[in-house]
Amino acid sequence: MSVPALELIGLKKSFGKAEIIRGIDLSIGKAERHAIIGPNGAGKSTLFNLITARFPPTAGTVKLHGEDLAGLQPFQINRKGLSRSFQITNIFPAMTVFENVRCALLWAQGYKYSFWNLVNRSRDLTEGAEKILDQINLLERRDLPAGTLSYAEQRALEIGITIAGGADVIMLDEPTAGMSHSETDYITDLIMKVTEGKTLVMVEHDMGLWPCGPDFRPGLRRDHRHWRAR
Amino acid sequence: MSNTELPKGARPEEQITTDPSRAAQRMRAGSMTLTMLPWIVAAILLAMLPYIFTSNSALTIMNQMWITVVFALAYNMLLGQGGMLSFGHAVYAGVGGFACMHIMNMSDFFASFPLPVLPVFGGLFGMGLALIVGSFSTRNAGTVFAMISLGVGELIAACSVIIVAFFGGEEGISGDRTYAMPFFGNEFLQQINVYYLTAFWMLLSAGLMYLWSRTPVGRMANAVRDNPERAEFLGYSARWVRFFSFVASGFFAGVSGALFAINYEILTEENLNTASSGVILLVTFLGGVGFFFGPIIGAIVFTLVQTVLSLQTELWAFYAGTLFVLTVMFFPGGLAGLLMMHVPAFRLGKAGGLIVPYLKTLLPGAIGVLAVCGLVEMVFHVRHASTGDHEMTLFWTTFDSHAILPWVIFIGVAVIGLGIARTTAPALRDAWNEANTAGGSA
Repeated sequence: MSVPALELIGLKKSFGKAEIIRGIDLSIGKAERHAIIGPNGAGKSTLFNLITARFPPTAGTVKLHGEDLAGLQPFQINRKGLSRSFQITNIFPAMTVFENVRCALLWAQGYKYSFWNLVNRSRDLTEGAEKILDQINLLERRDLPAGTLSYAEQRALEIGITIAGGADVIMLDEPTAGMSHSETDYITDLIMKVTEGKTLVMVEHDMGLWPCGPDFRPGLRRDHRHWRAR
Repeated sequence: MSNTELPKGARPEEQITTDPSRAAQRMRAGSMTLTMLPWIVAAILLAMLPYIFTSNSALTIMNQMWITVVFALAYNMLLGQGGMLSFGHAVYAGVGGFACMHIMNMSDFFASFPLPVLPVFGGLFGMGLALIVGSFSTRNAGTVFAMISLGVGELIAACSVIIVAFFGGEEGISGDRTYAMPFFGNEFLQQINVYYLTAFWMLLSAGLMYLWSRTPVGRMANAVRDNPERAEFLGYSARWVRFFSFVASGFFAGVSGALFAINYEILTEENLNTASSGVILLVTFLGGVGFFFGPIIGAIVFTLVQTVLSLQTELWAFYAGTLFVLTVMFFPGGLAGLLMMHVPAFRLGKAGGLIVPYLKTLLPGAIGVLAVCGLVEMVFHVRHASTGDHEMTLFWTTFDSHAILPWVIFIGVAVIGLGIARTTAPALRDAWNEANTAGGSA
């Protein structure tokens, strides 16, 4: 059997006496797309933050492609092929839309901390960023400061930034939160399109508005603050 | 266009790659000439300035200006581009400068290379210190970074009286730049030679700092400034990005220190202390942190205030401070931001419509402000001139500061000038809105 893309083993998290997550075992295969559904306060975002090392877990292990992520910094996890979005829109507001995406490409294209390359000289960077912008339908907004985009466009941009680096495990934290119906349709289409062939783990409040194909199934259910794979 | 309609086989990107790449090539070619143009203009201007302002004091002022430009640009690598507020950046310039003074005093070594190479050493020493301090101070931005910078700045400034061997105590360290190896027969005896050396290094440093801002690590400095957490999830360690910016900034601060050493041939505790660090913050902010050229404007304006205005009035620091406070309160983008506000109007071709309303408001406003300054000067004269000295000279006229008439005139002019500016301000606002609206009645 092949190694799962993401594996959680006995994952626990408490804040003081409050046990938020009481032991999750979950295995997500390559190119599977999962959604984690639950009401507010169920611990969805906490789970998310545990996987992406925003907080350390109280107990348990997170494995990415079979590799333990314990003790790694967010940027190290990203380099191993996991990319995430945030519940509150998290972009670079003072930079242009194009630059936002280009920054997301830099590490993936191997520039690291280079100060001997000029970013506007690189065709790969410009074309790569424009390709992503086209995918998220923001090519026309290219030169606007990202902070001036509409809410739905900012969310789309964040998804663009999240996928730009070519990570094969994509995690989206409530990508449709606070959106109208038509905006939700737009963003769900977009997510389905850009995550094709990738492993997707998504947190959502409810999936009512999602075009739930066979791909999508509620992966977890809250049961007295106890999470279990279905 | 909707890409969702496309069949699976035809990747949408294949359709668009040709077009954007051509556009990108066009843009790249266009931006090449566009980005080179200001540098060429600047180089010509720098070469010509000594022919326009020929006096030695003008050369000294301009040298001071270019040194401040380098330092302010270096400082803005932290503040504007990296989002790091430093209260102790003078130490990197200072240590670079002190190191250069010591090199000047090592006569054998100093005689082995020409003077224009010296700023490289200043840069390396500034960078060396930044490597050490940056290794722990760049862990965080924000308050923690600001406090560490203040602490380290104070620490090193305090060292100047303790480590006398390096900092020379209260007298500082002095040297002689002419002991260097002659540079094409030039020993830098004259101010004009030093001018060209300083101008060359200013242009070179500014160019390198501009290029830095276009590199991956320079772009990521912006990203980390805007949102460090997001940057981390793009594979970049915010700390390392800050560290690289900090070290580069230390290098160019060191270069400015070296230029100071070459110009003045003496460095003292003043080059290290918090006051100097505060001045460079003020200069940078006044010019505008949001644009690369902002600190250049700030350095030029501030140096003029510091040198030219200080010859006219003892209260120059008061005016500089007022200017700073007004900038922070009303134009947080600084002078550069103020200039760039007009770009949309120029793009729409409507900037011409602003000239008359500007004159109608700014001219009386400026006269009113000058009258207020006159009143400030008179108060200062009445309070501080020696007893019996009632004569003062202001705006090329000499009058009795204790008589009623001058006061009445200045108050009258101030009230009328500011009053007119106030009544014409709404028309300016309308003209501004009009100039920034596409289409319309014009």
